Amino acid sequence: MVIVKRKTLSLAERLYLPEVVRGLSITFRKLFQPKITRQYPEDPLPTTSVTRGQPRLVVKDDGNIACVSCGLCEAACPAYAITIDGHETDRSIEREPEEFQIDMLRCILCGFCEEACPKDAIFMSNELELADTTRSALVYDLERLKRPAAALAERMDYIKRINKRWQTSSST
Amino acid sequence: MANLLFYLMATLATVCAIGVVVARSPVVSVVSLLGSFASLAIIYLLAGYQFLAAVQILVYGGAVMVLFLFTIMLLNLGDPAVIHGESEPLFHHSRRTLLGLGVAAAVGAAGLIAILRVAWSAMPQPAELPEGGLDPLDQLAASMFTHYSLAFEAASVLLLATAVGVLVLAKRNRRPTAEVFPRESQQPATPSSPPTSTPSAGAQGQEVAEEGVLS
Amino acid sequence: MNDLLILLIKASVIYGGLLGTAALMTLAERKFSAWMQYRIGPNRVGPFGLLQPLADGVKFIFKEEVVPDGANPWLFRMAPMMAAVPAMLTVAVVPFAGGDIVLFGQNFGQLSITDLDIGVLFMLAIGGLGVYGVILGGWSSNSKYSLLGGLRASAQMISYELSLILVVLSIVAMSGTLDLRGIVAEQTGTWLLLPAWNVFQQPLAFVLFVIATFAETNRHPFDFAECEPELVGGFHTEYSSMKFALFFLGEYCAMVVMACLTTVLFLGGPEVPYWADAPWFLQLVAFMVKAGIFLFLFIWVRWTLPRFRFDQLMHLGWKVFLPLALANLFLTGLLVSF
Repeated sequence: MVIVKRKTLSLAERLYLPEVVRGLSITFRKLFQPKITRQYPEDPLPTTSVTRGQPRLVVKDDGNIACVSCGLCEAACPAYAITIDGHETDRSIEREPEEFQIDMLRCILCGFCEEACPKDAIFMSNELELADTTRSALVYDLERLKRPAAALAERMDYIKRINKRWQTSSST
Repeated sequence: MANLLFYLMATLATVCAIGVVVARSPVVSVVSLLGSFASLAIIYLLAGYQFLAAVQILVYGGAVMVLFLFTIMLLNLGDPAVIHGESEPLFHHSRRTLLGLGVAAAVGAAGLIAILRVAWSAMPQPAELPEGGLDPLDQLAASMFTHYSLAFEAASVLLLATAVGVLVLAKRNRRPTAEVFPRESQQPATPSSPPTSTPSAGAQGQEVAEEGVLS
Repeated sequence: MNDLLILLIKASVIYGGLLGTAALMTLAERKFSAWMQYRIGPNRVGPFGLLQPLADGVKFIFKEEVVPDGANPWLFRMAPMMAAVPAMLTVAVVPFAGGDIVLFGQNFGQLSITDLDIGVLFMLAIGGLGVYGVILGGWSSNSKYSLLGGLRASAQMISYELSLILVVLSIVAMSGTLDLRGIVAEQTGTWLLLPAWNVFQQPLAFVLFVIATFAETNRHPFDFAECEPELVGGFHTEYSSMKFALFFLGEYCAMVVMACLTTVLFLGGPEVPYWADAPWFLQLVAFMVKAGIFLFLFIWVRWTLPRFRFDQLMHLGWKVFLPLALANLFLTGLLVSF
């Protein structure tokens, strides 16, 4: 059993008003404290390489897309958000996606596609904002998913580093 | 302009007063009574009695009516029919109703005849207002607390008697239902008894409530 | 220019000021609460969020109106009006500045819509009617939360109006008049080097009056009519759209009026300290500053103190305030007569 001993209040405390004034002085001082609110659209939180935003496709420096439309990310996606349709090319890398759709309303930003990709072609970017007025506008196609490698470089480096650590520590 | 306002307010006061009697829901009649008081206050203002008007609203409108509403709401808590406006028909004792109407009509006619006779005999001219309103406060206070102090005190005793009478009536209406349905009806009845009930009645209610819990 | 036109101009200016202040108070409430909690507060609509009340008003107008099933339709529609109108009526007798106002070569008379001989009584009488809106709104909604809110409001108003009037009586006894300008005139000059304001001459009355004012306007820490954690929204649970907005307009207007009344009764109204013949616009500024302090106090207390319990409220009203107010009136009577 817990016995709570009530504090015996002094006269000033029982009069209540001095305590009210004390409380008021505290809140008054807080008026002038620096504010911690972030003005979001103008002043977004800084993103880092760990930020797991929306998935984007890498366009290599030679202008070709890195994706070979193998379908592994499509298979890995737990939300069935990805749809890929590939075709042959004349280049040494013989395949590329003809259509690559991610339904951003289904995507749960889990990053499985990024892990599954054998070609380092899909990465979770630092793009977080997702808003539109129709559902169809939020099904992103190939053109809207393409990003130059430079834009995703930070995340690519980070993933490579993590993968290396994973391979050396537990798989060997 | 002032005459027009007077007739408007007088009509409103009468209509509201009729509404007090006719309204099915007690809360509606309280609101009508408030309207009647407010129009009376405006009539006082028109006659130059600023102080009376303010006191009319302050005392009747502000304090008594709040108490009134408070009590009525407590008395009606268990009666959904009143809220939905489906209470029993207004005039169901037809013979008594007729008798009451007859008496009221006779009294009203007598009063009207008396007023009309005076009015016909000498149509009084409306008096001009003296400068600065009609009520020097000190005069009003002095006459009320010296010359009319007996009437003043008698009125307060009358009000007290009314309050006690209301309590008695409210208590008596409750008792039979309590005997027929001791378990269901007594418990909601106890909290809804008016807050200023006599100590013995409160103790009684408590005992019954405890029995209800035990059985 | 004839008198009626002058009266209309003065009325529209004063009512515009009242409604504008009430609207700005909703913004100030949010701003100050934000600042006390390290936040910024609304700042998107207009510069510093100044147009936020306008945006809120537009939003309220376009909201759907809902009248609950089983509600008493007439009273349900009448209640918001009864809450808003009395609070707005009372501002008619507040003296915002002494002395005649001369603008553009035109004498407008004194800055108040009207000067009643019984100004104090008028304000208390009409202001006290505001509770009907709350009670009727609570009753006619056919909802248990609303009903409880209305009941609490009525009990609270009865308890605190008594002390409020007793406190005002001691001020009236000191100045010997019910006229607000008379009460202001009585407070001019100095008293022990301080301005002869009632706040220095009647400190106990001042404290009691300010606290009773909080109870009278249903503000924190006495906002039992709303009491969100217990009663959802209290008396306005079932209200929506412009009816809901009217309740809040009434509440904020009542706050503004009460701040004006406190200024007049205790802070010498429009008097500029130590300068009795200040020009009218300086007096108006002085009045606004004084009333503004009380308006800030309303917000400040709301975001500082937790809500009372209902039995504590009743205990405070009947067992503390009433005896203190009576004792104060008694002492004042002794002082005045000897």
